[in-house]
Amino acid sequence: MDALMGFDPRRVAKFAGLGALLLFLCWQHVQATRIGYRVETTRREARALRSRVADLRLKVDETMAPAALAARANTKLGMIPATPDSLRSLSGAAESGGLLPRLWARLPLVGPSRS
Amino acid sequence: MDLGLRLTVAAALTLSPLLPLGARLAYLQVLRHDNLSTRASGEFARTAKEAAPRADLQDRHGRVLARSNPSWSCFVDKAMVKDPNAFGAKLSPLLGLPASEIARKTRAAHRFAWLKTGMTHGEFTQLAEARVEGLGLVPAQERVYPNGDLARGVLGLVGAEGNGLAGIEMSQNKRLNGRARRMDVIRDGQGRSIYKNVADAGDEPEPLRLTLDRTAQYLAEEALREGGEKGQFKEGIVAIQDPRNGEILAMAAWPPNPLRNPLVQDAFEPGSTFKVVTALAAVDDRVVRPDELFSGEGGKWQLTPGVTITDHEPEGDMNLTQIMERSSNIGVAKVVERVGATRFYRLARAFGFGAKTGAPLPGESAGELKPLSDLTKVGLAASSYGYGLAVSPLQMLGAYSAIANGGTLWEPKFFADGEPPVKVRRVASERAVREISLMLEGVVDRGTAASAKIPGYRAAGKTGTARKIDPLTRKYSTSAYTASFAGFLPASAPRWTILVILHEPKGAYYGGLVAAPIFARLGSRLLALEGVPSDRPAAPTLTARR
Repeated sequence: MDALMGFDPRRVAKFAGLGALLLFLCWQHVQATRIGYRVETTRREARALRSRVADLRLKVDETMAPAALAARANTKLGMIPATPDSLRSLSGAAESGGLLPRLWARLPLVGPSRS
Repeated sequence: MDLGLRLTVAAALTLSPLLPLGARLAYLQVLRHDNLSTRASGEFARTAKEAAPRADLQDRHGRVLARSNPSWSCFVDKAMVKDPNAFGAKLSPLLGLPASEIARKTRAAHRFAWLKTGMTHGEFTQLAEARVEGLGLVPAQERVYPNGDLARGVLGLVGAEGNGLAGIEMSQNKRLNGRARRMDVIRDGQGRSIYKNVADAGDEPEPLRLTLDRTAQYLAEEALREGGEKGQFKEGIVAIQDPRNGEILAMAAWPPNPLRNPLVQDAFEPGSTFKVVTALAAVDDRVVRPDELFSGEGGKWQLTPGVTITDHEPEGDMNLTQIMERSSNIGVAKVVERVGATRFYRLARAFGFGAKTGAPLPGESAGELKPLSDLTKVGLAASSYGYGLAVSPLQMLGAYSAIANGGTLWEPKFFADGEPPVKVRRVASERAVREISLMLEGVVDRGTAASAKIPGYRAAGKTGTARKIDPLTRKYSTSAYTASFAGFLPASAPRWTILVILHEPKGAYYGGLVAAPIFARLGSRLLALEGVPSDRPAAPTLTARR
């Protein structure tokens, strides 16, 4: 009877396998598309973040620019440019690590701020 | 009719409508496959291109001088805009531009026109979400200079298309420009992108590190700015070179102009700073004895009938050291007679005058040195004190560096690329160069450059004051001068060669009075910055602590 109806278990298994393969390929395609959307979204986010990082880097660079530093040092901290004779080399004394050399190293060499 | 035949007929009747469909499918899939596939790709597949990166420019310590930031630009496609006024009104709040201006740009466009460049990511997102028909958005790179105008004459500038238009940006354009990354994407029905694959990974070039020192550059510009802003001179130039290897540490010009670098592109009549060439020629070939005296002729000497050389002060007898210290034109003209045109010309060429230095900057000037055949008695005398010839500031800086380092002329080095410096040639014997260095120290200690002195340090250099040619009369002006000072410090072991040139100073115009103080100020700042120990301990004095 089975043979009459063409219901061969091996043939059924083959069709089932083929069907499963087709389903897998469809699923894979859907997944690839979904991941493709996600990659695009992530790429946009990465671009936005890169842009933000670049803005922040620029701000840091602008803040550290010599002209900006000099202006802040002068107006906020009252610092003045050093001349060679106002510098005192403390390399030997400071490195020795004693109390007196360290205190000497902390002595102010310029006057109070001129703000 | 048997069952099999009936089934066959039924199947044939059922399937017969599918036959033309199958034929059509075969036609589309087989015969027209390539054509249709290309059309489909054109409609759905896209290549997303990111903006081409451009390498950073850094100073010798890796501090950023120029950087490219991602930005966006938007444009209008006029063919897709029905009503420019409505288009302008819709975009105005998003772009922050007047609606009338947007409408005007749209109307004036042939088909395409930029509406705004250098937009932030926030602006881009807003515009992308607004989905305005006729508006296009493209990623770009905005070139930013975080230190403002610092070193802009050297760095140059970049145009809207991302190509260098001047300075290093222009000369190194190929090296700085990268290749944009490209990705294949598919557009869905709603126009959203679906990533497919990377078509081209692109190429992001490494930062280009210059030999410039950001701090030294700032100090050089600051030294010029004060006088420039007060109108004390028309144009000013300050350059610093490391005489030990030819590295250019700073190139400052006033007024700042990113399109022009006068240190490389201009040439000037140097005046007395050129006397070192004459003096070195005399000392190197031992044509003048150290104790030999030359008459100063009381400040006026008739060289040939109709040609009289004058000094700014009447002088008596002088040896070569005194001639240099007092910057006597008469003295040096007498020395050059002894040296001769050939020796003088040969040494001037050896210093690199009259030839390009090979600086990697656009528009370098070679200066002008008269050919040997034109060095007549008058021409030779004038050349001996720096008239009748033109040199570029870069050449003069290199020449003084050669004196500072004991006689080696280096090719000016602009890139900190790890390559060894290029030695051009030895210009004179070490003995002769040392003698000249001592004479230049005398110029600062006892001569015309007293205001170049830096307490506690030995400095050497030469002042220069030259009349400028009046462009109207084509004769030497009686009111416009070029004041200069070229020197190096600390003289015991030179680390910096500094050149200061001031065009058309107002009031005092002698190089020793206007240019030398800038050298001293800049030199003392550099010495303090680097913590260079004193090479001339001062006599003990009482000083009050401020």
